[in-house]
Amino acid sequence: MKSLKEDYFNAFFSHIYVEESVRKLPRTKEILSKFPSAKIIEIGHYKDVFCRSKQCFTLQHRSQNLILAAKRGTLIYEGAPVCQSFGNDHFYYTSCMMNCVFDCEYCYLKGMYPSANIVIFVNLEDVFAQVEEMLKSHPMYLCVSYDTDLLALEQIIGYAEKWCAFTEKHENLKIEIRTKCANRLYARNARPVPGVIYAFTLSPQAVIDACEHCTPALKERLSCVAEMVKRGIPVRLCFDPMIYLPGWKQYYEEMLRQVYDTIDLAKIVDVSVGSFRISQDYLKKMRRQEPDSAVVWFPFQNEDGFYHYPNELMEQMESFLAERLEEKISKEKIFRWKE
Amino acid sequence: MIYIFTALYCEAHVFIRYFHLGKKPENTRFQEFYSERAGIRLIITGIGEIAAAAAVGSVCAQYKPKEEDMLLNIGTCAHRSGTAGVFVCNKLTEQATGKTFYPDILYSHNFDEEAVVTGMRPWNREKDGAEASLAFSGGNLYDMEAAAIYQAGSYYFGPHQMVFLKIVSDSGGAKEVSAKQVEQLMEACQDELFDLVKQLPWVLCQDAQNKNCLCTEKEAMLKKLCTDMHCSKVMRDMLKQHIRYLELSGTDYVSVIQEMYREGLFPCKDKREGKLRFEELKGRLF
Repeated sequence: MKSLKEDYFNAFFSHIYVEESVRKLPRTKEILSKFPSAKIIEIGHYKDVFCRSKQCFTLQHRSQNLILAAKRGTLIYEGAPVCQSFGNDHFYYTSCMMNCVFDCEYCYLKGMYPSANIVIFVNLEDVFAQVEEMLKSHPMYLCVSYDTDLLALEQIIGYAEKWCAFTEKHENLKIEIRTKCANRLYARNARPVPGVIYAFTLSPQAVIDACEHCTPALKERLSCVAEMVKRGIPVRLCFDPMIYLPGWKQYYEEMLRQVYDTIDLAKIVDVSVGSFRISQDYLKKMRRQEPDSAVVWFPFQNEDGFYHYPNELMEQMESFLAERLEEKISKEKIFRWKE
Repeated sequence: MIYIFTALYCEAHVFIRYFHLGKKPENTRFQEFYSERAGIRLIITGIGEIAAAAAVGSVCAQYKPKEEDMLLNIGTCAHRSGTAGVFVCNKLTEQATGKTFYPDILYSHNFDEEAVVTGMRPWNREKDGAEASLAFSGGNLYDMEAAAIYQAGSYYFGPHQMVFLKIVSDSGGAKEVSAKQVEQLMEACQDELFDLVKQLPWVLCQDAQNKNCLCTEKEAMLKKLCTDMHCSKVMRDMLKQHIRYLELSGTDYVSVIQEMYREGLFPCKDKREGKLRFEELKGRLF
């Protein structure tokens, strides 16, 4: 018998749960065809698997499974108060995928979702239809990769490309695709679409090593950004969330040096700066799930139901980065998160 | 600890013998066999959903399973087409209600996987043959306990802590299978079953082993520091929170505290001074 001790977790996506109602859709079949050896388990509703009680996020993350489902009800949500709107009115987000293949210890998804499995909603066209309906009354700024990292699964689902094609057809739509991915193939082949902003979250390598597990190195992310910028693709840099580590200033200084060396900042759309903050309910769940994670056990300050670094430290961290960035980028392009 | 639930003694026999499980005569409701060394508590539930759920509830309420414990349901079942073998169940359907349950299949194994339907009465191919498609609408296996054990177990275990193993004994003629035949069936696949049973606790221990982050000496130091700072309950919790973070982040806080003792800053004369020293300690550490 194969020893559990040697390799005791199943491979990623070894099991794929598929809602009966979407089983025969072409997109479902296409996704399933990419995992020929996966066990397919038919389910009635994705919540039967995703919302089971007492799931262990940490263990599930070591053997993530896929759930293919149809999104019903509300498909577009208003932007959350803790999220940066970058000065846009009509700020919304949508979740055509839930959860992420990356395993960042501080990620709010660990506090928000009961499961680490990834849900892909295969009825993307229904989301498009609802966006089109809303666009009739006002322009929209829509974040399409908030509760996930679409680019990380682009080779499987191709949603980023589909969003680009959709946005291209709607002048009053602006979308943001946020990522920590360093998908060079995508960067080389993507085309510039004025309404599509690729937002790369950047962290010092020390932070990546300490708590952004399974994510590409800073150098790889920067090389991807540089490629896109060179090709005239709108790119945003997100230094958000800034994470405290002993010696943080030195780490962020080094990160900025690498950014300046690699990227022509004059061509960047804008940047965001914000230190880690999270709702108290999410942090409570995260601490239960991650008893060994220093980053979530930091003695944060609670203000009106949100935890953040103590005011003095928060100010020090954000000001430090914003001031350094101001030396290279005009102030109007730097967005600092404010309550 | 692994909690093994089987419906019948003949399904449990191989485990009792191999792991030297001793009978616990004090449990008079359900037959219970136990070995501390093997880390196994085996319970014979009796046949059917109600007996199985009652046994799980009773035993778990008594022993209160922990995060690193596992529930393992092992038993015989019918297969729609009579395919022999041992199956890990990835979907459990309760026939009476149509409800479905999904144990996590996070750990690699060498068994085939199947969905099982749990019914209230044995499936009889001759009598129920015409209803076969209805009986098996949720899978190819049919048993009488799995879905009930999952439901009762889920009050105490997460889906990653429950494993359901079914050994095919018949294809709709359970009454024709004798206890002796079941024993032989279990013996035929016992090596694979034993391997799984021996390795499961190790898997969950990997996750549980790092959860106590302070060693005894540091716990004692923290307790002394709380006393020396005249900490209130709130301040003690804050101090603990800081120490936990510092420990997890690998910061050398012990030498900073020792230095403050050497400087005569601890112990403090009262709570007010304790508060000031706490601020100073934070200032030195962050």
